Amino acid sequence: MQKEEKIQETTLESLFQRVQEIKNTIISFLLKLEQEYETLNWPTVLDNFALLSSQISMLTRLIKSDRIPQLRGYVLLPLSLSPERDAELEKVTEGRVMAFNHEVVPDYLRTKPDPEVDDKMMQFQTRANQTTPEMLQKQITTLNKISMNMIEIINSKRVEWEGEMNQRSSQPTTSSLSDTNAVIAAISFGKNLKSSRRQDSTGQGQHSSDHKSQHSSSQSGGSVHINKPPSTVKTNIKSAPNAHPYNRH
Amino acid sequence: MEMPSLNRSMAPLQEYLLQGSILDKHRGPFLHRLNGLCDVVSEMPEKFHDHEMVYHLKGVGVQPMVFRVRRALDHPDSPWHVRYVGQPEIGDKTRQTLVRSYIDVGTSDNISLFLTEMGFKQDHEYVAKGYIFRKGRMKIVVSKIYRMPHQGNTETLDVVSESHVVELSVLAPHGQDQVQEDMKNFAEQLKPLIQLEKIDHKRLQ
Repeated sequence: MQKEEKIQETTLESLFQRVQEIKNTIISFLLKLEQEYETLNWPTVLDNFALLSSQISMLTRLIKSDRIPQLRGYVLLPLSLSPERDAELEKVTEGRVMAFNHEVVPDYLRTKPDPEVDDKMMQFQTRANQTTPEMLQKQITTLNKISMNMIEIINSKRVEWEGEMNQRSSQPTTSSLSDTNAVIAAISFGKNLKSSRRQDSTGQGQHSSDHKSQHSSSQSGGSVHINKPPSTVKTNIKSAPNAHPYNRH
Repeated sequence: MEMPSLNRSMAPLQEYLLQGSILDKHRGPFLHRLNGLCDVVSEMPEKFHDHEMVYHLKGVGVQPMVFRVRRALDHPDSPWHVRYVGQPEIGDKTRQTLVRSYIDVGTSDNISLFLTEMGFKQDHEYVAKGYIFRKGRMKIVVSKIYRMPHQGNTETLDVVSESHVVELSVLAPHGQDQVQEDMKNFAEQLKPLIQLEKIDHKRLQ
């Protein structure tokens, strides 16, 4: 009997230790959520969850292990309830339970879910048992199909979005530096705006100078080669003033 | 070149100027952006259709005296404008915009004749068609510049380039340099559609 009690004590001790660890992890996680929510990133949250889940699985393994006696074989009975505040209890529970009274005892010493929850569970169970394996298979395939469709839609959307993003990053040029320079030069100094008229006038100038040189060469030619018929000279002289009447004035 | 004391009561105005251009096919989104950014006026966006004639008076110096005469083709009854703009100062890096002296007066429609009588000669002319926006004291002009192949004929026009010229300007009395900061910030909001910059006109000449 004494041996059994000793085992029970060590069991409780180790259980207590494990639970305390889990509690500490939860506290630190909550603290992080509350204080570092601005800098917290998803991977660290997942890390915290992983830590918690490993600790819980360790606890369950401990409870199921051979060295632990069957805990459900023990009966826990509330012997006396008191509405008075219990300082000792308050200290042990870190201020969460003030008194061992009729309000908290049903919650803390519960071994079965609420009757309502129990009923619901039963309903679900019966519903689950009613469905035939064929129907289950059918439902599974439908669900798979829907999920696949969803994944497909999401993927296609993603491709679309990525395309858009790429397009945005390689934005088409909306302005051109050479055009900027061209238009600003145009409005500032009239570059290219007066070109047509200028070309006209310079063209005229060239023309007349051409004719003049022709004119003078033919004249000089005339003076050197006296034998040359003078008719060409005459036509040359005539043609120049005809084409450019302004030169005369 | 200093302006003669045409009007002593008029405070000399400085024009702070940033320039850029937008390709014609991207004009739509750009105007939308401006519509969103600028002050709301009754008619959005405000359009204009102007004919500008630039007159030069060749003086003793190298630089001619330049007067710009402007009339609104879409409002033939409005007064004409004659404008003098000084040489733009580029300044150093601390200066965000071009600065040039600026005098603009309304005149009657025989100003061209008057200038010609005074010895001015028309150097060039063009037609500017576009939109005008305002934001506070800033003025944003988006215009397409057309060459006029036949002098005085504003009907047959050639385009100068495939872009609209964009000018962001503020007129202010001398020394109000803080407007440059506002202009720079506004220009920043128009990126990356266009880059409004202070463009060295000497480089283009």
